[in-house]
Amino acid sequence: MMREEGVVELPNRLFADGRSILARFGYRHLENGADRDDWAAMWDLLRPDFATAEQPEIAPYDTLSEEAQSLARAYMRIRLAADRNLEACERLHVQLYADGIDKGRVEDYAVVRDAYEDSVEAFGAAREKLAARLSL
Amino acid sequence: MPDWKTYDKGDPMPEDYRKCLIHLMTFQADSEYAGAQRVAENMRFAPRPEEAYRLSKKVMEEMGHGYYVWALLQDLGVDVDARLQELVQHPDNPDPKKVNVINGFRKENWSQWFECWEDVALFSTVVTPAAVAFLGQYRECSYKPWARVNVRIHKEEHGHLAFGVWASKRCIEFGGEETRAFMQTRIPKFMRVGLGFYGRPSTGGGKSAMFDKYYEYGIKVKKPEELQAEYLELLESRLAEVGLKVPADIEADYDMRMGYEADEPATAAQ
Repeated sequence: MMREEGVVELPNRLFADGRSILARFGYRHLENGADRDDWAAMWDLLRPDFATAEQPEIAPYDTLSEEAQSLARAYMRIRLAADRNLEACERLHVQLYADGIDKGRVEDYAVVRDAYEDSVEAFGAAREKLAARLSL
Repeated sequence: MPDWKTYDKGDPMPEDYRKCLIHLMTFQADSEYAGAQRVAENMRFAPRPEEAYRLSKKVMEEMGHGYYVWALLQDLGVDVDARLQELVQHPDNPDPKKVNVINGFRKENWSQWFECWEDVALFSTVVTPAAVAFLGQYRECSYKPWARVNVRIHKEEHGHLAFGVWASKRCIEFGGEETRAFMQTRIPKFMRVGLGFYGRPSTGGGKSAMFDKYYEYGIKVKKPEELQAEYLELLESRLAEVGLKVPADIEADYDMRMGYEADEPATAAQ
């Protein structure tokens, strides 16, 4: 088993490559419950997602209104939760590979995968809410 | 629909039935996992964060489908850990003697179809309806544990259809009518795969040698013609949602699923 940037990996690069794509949008591995609050830096990587033909430039975090900043933080917190849930899924993949497939482990995987899916859906819903506010 | 004899976990079953069942179940499990590996490779095309996260979510779901079916195969005495090991250790070129992966999910075939994010969005809009129709039949198959797990899988595959429509609409939202026209030209290559997904017609010279047996056993419960009708109905409605049209005169590509019907199950890992 490989270990890259603190993450135990399967012996192929698929998950690491996937995380490197997410990193373009601010993903970063955090050890043992660590948190981050570099909202302005994270926002810089996410704000292009809010650009539209009518509004091609989205303001930096520091120049958003307090209300928009609050919504942006909520949106980014959900993304951070999604990142942790993704890592939980990947840990289960490694366990299933290393220790073998059994029904208990598969159900454990289904639980963490449901959590990841819920957080990705919530991320999308938060984006829509924030996009509506930014378009005002 | 004929009335098939059904089996539940631990029930004694005829050896030939068991062999056919394991063949199709391993194809589903191995192909779900290998398909997820291919989807993971498409992450590189994701243009925006939500696209990337939603595609990553799809990877996790498809791998989960593989685990669900592998867990059932353990009850039938199959060494599924060896199959996972093979796919993890050789994602680009797994040994066909050790795993059963449909041709379309082999990297050399898959990688020819994808050049941009629009292709990724279209795959889930145009090919996934075929998977929904094809795998949906297993919800009513004669092996009850597999039928039950496919109820769960079918629900999630419907979610993937929604992803395709969402992603395609976003492409057009950002790219405008020029992108819509571009996407329309790329539908045929995916539709050929979708049309070939459920196999050759059940009558005529090109029919599958194995279909009649699978149907007689109730492992497959729908004829290819029925699945094609379901596929085209789903496809038309999803493309209409996106503002795209079903192209005419598209021929099925049966080679991309070759092996699903073959009477040569991978035995080395069983």
